[in-house]
Amino acid sequence: MTRPNYWKQPLVSLAVWAIVLIVIFPLIWMVITSVKPQTELFRIPATFWPTEITFEHYRTLLEKTAFLKYMRNSVIISTSTTILVITVAVLGAYSLTRFTYPGRERIAFLVLATYLLPSVVLVLPLYLMMVKVGIANSLFSLVVAYTTFALPYALWLLRSFMASMPEELEWAALVDGASRLGAFVDVVLPQAIPGIISTALFTFIVTWNEYFYALILVNTDEARPLTTGVITMLVTSFNIEWSLLMAAAVAMSLPLIIIFVFLQGYLVRGFAGTGVKG
Amino acid sequence: MSAVTIEARKTTLGMSLPSQYALIGVLLIAPTLLIFALVIAYPLLEAIYLSFFSIYTPTLQGQWVGLENYRTMLSSQEFWKALGTNIVWTVGTLTLQVVFGIAMALLLNLNFYFRSLARSLVLFPYFVSTVVAVLVWRWMFNDTYGILNRAILASGLSDMPLDWLGSMPNAMISIILVGAWKYFPFVVIAVLARLQTIPSELYEAAHIDGAGPWSRFWDVTLPQLREVLIVIVLLRTIWDFKEFDLIYLLTGGGPVASTQTLPILVYKQAFGMNAMGKASTYAIGIMVVLLVFMVLYLYRTRRTKGGSP
Repeated sequence: MTRPNYWKQPLVSLAVWAIVLIVIFPLIWMVITSVKPQTELFRIPATFWPTEITFEHYRTLLEKTAFLKYMRNSVIISTSTTILVITVAVLGAYSLTRFTYPGRERIAFLVLATYLLPSVVLVLPLYLMMVKVGIANSLFSLVVAYTTFALPYALWLLRSFMASMPEELEWAALVDGASRLGAFVDVVLPQAIPGIISTALFTFIVTWNEYFYALILVNTDEARPLTTGVITMLVTSFNIEWSLLMAAAVAMSLPLIIIFVFLQGYLVRGFAGTGVKG
Repeated sequence: MSAVTIEARKTTLGMSLPSQYALIGVLLIAPTLLIFALVIAYPLLEAIYLSFFSIYTPTLQGQWVGLENYRTMLSSQEFWKALGTNIVWTVGTLTLQVVFGIAMALLLNLNFYFRSLARSLVLFPYFVSTVVAVLVWRWMFNDTYGILNRAILASGLSDMPLDWLGSMPNAMISIILVGAWKYFPFVVIAVLARLQTIPSELYEAAHIDGAGPWSRFWDVTLPQLREVLIVIVLLRTIWDFKEFDLIYLLTGGGPVASTQTLPILVYKQAFGMNAMGKASTYAIGIMVVLLVFMVLYLYRTRRTKGGSP
């Protein structure tokens, strides 16, 4: 270990990268399948790399299926939920970390407890509630349902972000005569921005990926998000078109890929706040 | 302004800041509490209430049956079988997640080329939608054209394609494997973060004592990972136990009911058998089982952070 070994790093790299590629192979295979001509999937012997690259499946997906409609629904649902949840959670987390009042710790505890609450317990009463109030089968019903898990999650993340922010600057502003809310806008918010972006990305991703509530609460194409929408496409087609489905899987992962490429640092930071480090 | 003068001014302000602003604090938490009451607390109580009714799903008409649902549940084979299946799935997939997760974290902690790229690629399975993961795996599991069966046939391991999802125990093994693939990055991130904080002196000391790589792992690394592993296992037990999407989309609980876990049973009772009251009873059953792990986790968080979770 002490003598320099010029071969060590290349060899380690080779071995680790081989394993990493095996781990993400299903995702690579998804992309490869989505650009193969349909006939090539069923060729014997099989080909690994496409002999010709085609984007026809993506075109079919956009032109001949309800994919874009589902996409629009998903964008509306995830964006609204994220905005709602982040607004409420920023105020709530600020309150939980910087104010003292009776019951504060109990509320913080409650937030953590609800974060662990399985959605299978809430789904049936929520379904009844939506029917009763008359918002069943709407985009709004999913925004409400997603808030049940996204809000505790966001509150928890933001609370640990804000707890780690130094209080001195805020004190200084207050002593200099700023109002409490003035100090919040001018001092606390700018400091909290990275944590807020992190939390917003996580919220967006978990709501974008959600399947269970969507399956139970919505059964019309008008409000169906991508997750249940794409599965409906799979179930309804008699002859499963794998290349089309792989194209759909790639396309619905697009926001995720964008976040990974451009905003990855925020995801790693977000993880540190999820309480895993305990 | 230095911290000292701030401290001095704090006292001259007369009142301690927190009590002065308690009202604003309460106003800021009010929207959270309102939403919690409406969409979490109320439905939770309603779920318990519903479990005492017999409700026909299409009409949502119901009648009070008292403890009847619970009696039926506890005496039905279906429930106990689903609970057993649930435990097999949870223990199986969680074990693999932890083993693969630790192994991968150790690898990603080594020095190698393009390390940060490798680290982020490994997270992908965790962040893609379960729907995406399931579509890809179902395509790979495909009887005739799936790459796994083609590889098996081409390599001569078997001259029959494997029925990955339609027979037992294959279906259970398949969902456990896909679950491990999907969720092990969670373990990787948490363990990797902890590995980076283990003081290198510990390894140097072990090295001087003549400890080989194997004993360095068992005697230095693992004890240091203990705390984080306990938290990981508690959280992942809760999340794996209540998993619906992955199993439902891969096997639908089949073949017959061999991969039917409790969450799938809830769904089938409510929308297949149209017995929403009974479904609620099953849901409460799930919560009671998970309560043990939730309490352990909450207790742990509370203790380690000295009063505030």
